[in-house]
Amino acid sequence: MTHIHVLHILNKAPSHPRSVECLSALMPGDTLLLIENAVLAVASLNEYRAGIPVFALAPDVIARGLGECSENTTLVDFAAMVDLTAQAQQIISW
Amino acid sequence: MSKSTLIVIDQPPYGAWAGREALDMAFSLAAFDQRVSLLFMGAGVNWLRKSQETSEIEQKSVEKNLSAAPVFGVEKLYADAAACDQYSLFPESMIAGVVITESSSELIRQHSHTAFAG
Repeated sequence: MTHIHVLHILNKAPSHPRSVECLSALMPGDTLLLIENAVLAVASLNEYRAGIPVFALAPDVIARGLGECSENTTLVDFAAMVDLTAQAQQIISW
Repeated sequence: MSKSTLIVIDQPPYGAWAGREALDMAFSLAAFDQRVSLLFMGAGVNWLRKSQETSEIEQKSVEKNLSAAPVFGVEKLYADAAACDQYSLFPESMIAGVVITESSSELIRQHSHTAFAG
């Protein structure tokens, strides 16, 4: 059971100001979980802070045909998403 | 970390209702003696500007709503320093009692619960 300090759950598209706010709040020991519109970021995933694990909700990714461009993102199903929330000390839904 | 909620308003005033709804949430929490504070970020800092005259747009001034915050028991009103600079908002052009914070993300991490406007 890896321990997560803060799990950031982001559902905003990369162009949304809240996405920028979320990315700037990431700190070592945090984890980022992309869901809904935020999964578009897997297609433009470049500026994430090194060392921050990034997960994306598979159904949202596949629904948007982004399956093959999510190499450095771990796809998770709903059950695995719930596990992530259980591991986190604190959760921030942006 | 004692239970405390931070309501974050990063939406500009008047243009949409998300901010007002978030403010109502904050007041409701405070009315039920929950510890709650407000953080204004991005375009949301414009809520804090003094002398808002809204009769021409037929909306109640958010400035008046905000003046009720202490009465309800909202603990603190924070404003993001960078956003204040961006919108050239200086302490003297802001309503009274606002605490300007240099690190909003740190502030968010210090509260057990966070809710965003819209």
